[in-house]
Amino acid sequence: MVETKKSEFRKRDLLYLVPLWFLSLIAPDPYLYHKKGFKKKDLFYLGAICLAPLIWSDQHFHHLMVLAGIYAILSLGLSLFMGYAGQISLGHAAFFGIGAYTTAILTIQYALPTFVAFWASSVSAAVIAYLIGRPILKLKGYFLALATLGFGEIFQVIIRESTDLTGGVIGIFGIPWFSLMGFSFDTYLKQYYLAWGVLIGLFIFSKNLVRSKVGRALSAVAASEDAASSVGINVPRIKLEIFVLGAAFAGLAGSLFACFMSIANPEAFSLGLTVLIVMMVILGGMGNLYGPIAGAILLTWLMDILSKYQEYSLPIYSVILILLLLFFPDGIGTRLNVRIIYLIGYWAKKKKRDEGKL
Amino acid sequence: MSLLSIESVTKEYDGIRALERVSLKVEKRSIKGLIGPNGAGKSTLFHLISGVEKPDSGKIYFKEREITSMPSHEISALGMGRTFQTLQIWGNMTVVENVMAGMNRRLKGGLFSYGLWLPWIRRSEREALKEAKEILNSLGLLGKWESMASQLPYGKQKLLELGRALAMKPELLLLDEPASGLTFTEMRQLSEKILLIRQEGVTVFIVEHHMGMVMEIADEIAVLHNGELIAEGTPEAVRRHPQVIEAYLKGKGADA
Repeated sequence: MVETKKSEFRKRDLLYLVPLWFLSLIAPDPYLYHKKGFKKKDLFYLGAICLAPLIWSDQHFHHLMVLAGIYAILSLGLSLFMGYAGQISLGHAAFFGIGAYTTAILTIQYALPTFVAFWASSVSAAVIAYLIGRPILKLKGYFLALATLGFGEIFQVIIRESTDLTGGVIGIFGIPWFSLMGFSFDTYLKQYYLAWGVLIGLFIFSKNLVRSKVGRALSAVAASEDAASSVGINVPRIKLEIFVLGAAFAGLAGSLFACFMSIANPEAFSLGLTVLIVMMVILGGMGNLYGPIAGAILLTWLMDILSKYQEYSLPIYSVILILLLLFFPDGIGTRLNVRIIYLIGYWAKKKKRDEGKL
Repeated sequence: MSLLSIESVTKEYDGIRALERVSLKVEKRSIKGLIGPNGAGKSTLFHLISGVEKPDSGKIYFKEREITSMPSHEISALGMGRTFQTLQIWGNMTVVENVMAGMNRRLKGGLFSYGLWLPWIRRSEREALKEAKEILNSLGLLGKWESMASQLPYGKQKLLELGRALAMKPELLLLDEPASGLTFTEMRQLSEKILLIRQEGVTVFIVEHHMGMVMEIADEIAVLHNGELIAEGTPEAVRRHPQVIEAYLKGKGADA
């Protein structure tokens, strides 16, 4: 996996070594698969997440990070399905939408507390994912991608047409703030901590899955389904389980989105969002749980910067994405780390070589 | 009753008979070999036994239960491990994870108990790691336990595949051409390992192209030719069987 082509060591690589060494302290290491547990680095991330909004205490940054947190929850769920189980889903935005609309309908029409609606959103997304997943997860590769894409579009149409329930194209307005036992999350800062708190909880859950039996079964299914069933792994079932889990994550994210933006309209859950989430997963790095979060922050930030150049934003956006995919096909986190590990490994060996040990 | 019994199984592919009413029995704690020239239907038979494909007619019993139409993961869960003719290790995992994934069925607990990392999960994961290392040790792969499975040389990958099948503690082990592509020394190691596995009480059923190896270790050999069972018996008897000699001379003589 380590780049073997450039085995020659150049002096100027040493210059990169200092910042890279620092990065390697905080960046996740995707190739040390056997050490999948939690590490000291995770504490560093946790600290950074807690302190970041206090250090940059400007409203715009907070708002962006709230969005990034929500997108990160979405892409975390998708990365379990895409990055680990090796399946393709282009209908993930629909589950996000189901979560948002469940919250909107339950809080406004039935006046339920947001906390209840939050969990109900997750359950409703999971139930629909189960019903959808049972038939379509038998498909593979592009067929699965097309089926999920179709599901996403059908969801759009249903939302637009059933005006009584969902408000049609206009959507539902005035969803109350998320509140828990009288404490209302009404500022961006509070919302930030809520969104990222949920994200951290789900991250720990996913990480526990990935580093244990479930993660091994998922990787096995991704690599060879025949071999997976030859050791008794129930392939259709584990695919369905992880699809439903990803949908449940998306439902939670959708519920938070509806509460924070206080609106649910079909535009927000279109194909564009699906593409965005898939890009987050791919850009951040597949088969790695830190990647989708990094990808979510990066793309949210990128979209925000580009929104200043309104008319040129789409072409610039696509050019940047193409460049990123050209130079970081395995995702930014992954490629950066390969380079770091390579350099540090070389450096360590060079010392030994000089001492005559190798 | 024998551990595995196949009763007049027939399989057709687009009108071409791959297997014609084949009946076989594999006794407990024996090593059974299945040989035959290319295209004799050996791999087809293996696919039928392990549930990858379904027979057109006939029945297959394993541990006195009919498994003819069971999905393949359920058959595996009953205690049937297998390796593949074309190597099927999981290159995206480390060596030790490959073996641990083989234990998947034996590790209890669902999605939520793993996600919440309940106390007993930690213990069972640690024990699984320990056991996987023991299996790797017995195969001489312990030195490489942390490296990616795709980085192992071919021979070691074959051993790893065997290790993965052993990790599920099977009662019957199906080996599909385990010696293909191995060097002479690797083949010797493999034969020794298979004999050792049998001593531990595992029944072994080998499909092999390489006659020499099967003759050496098998208790009983069955010969397939053009989808029909032409001979069955001890290695000596099979070796002298006129039809076997004819089939092998007509087919690929070099194999014998």
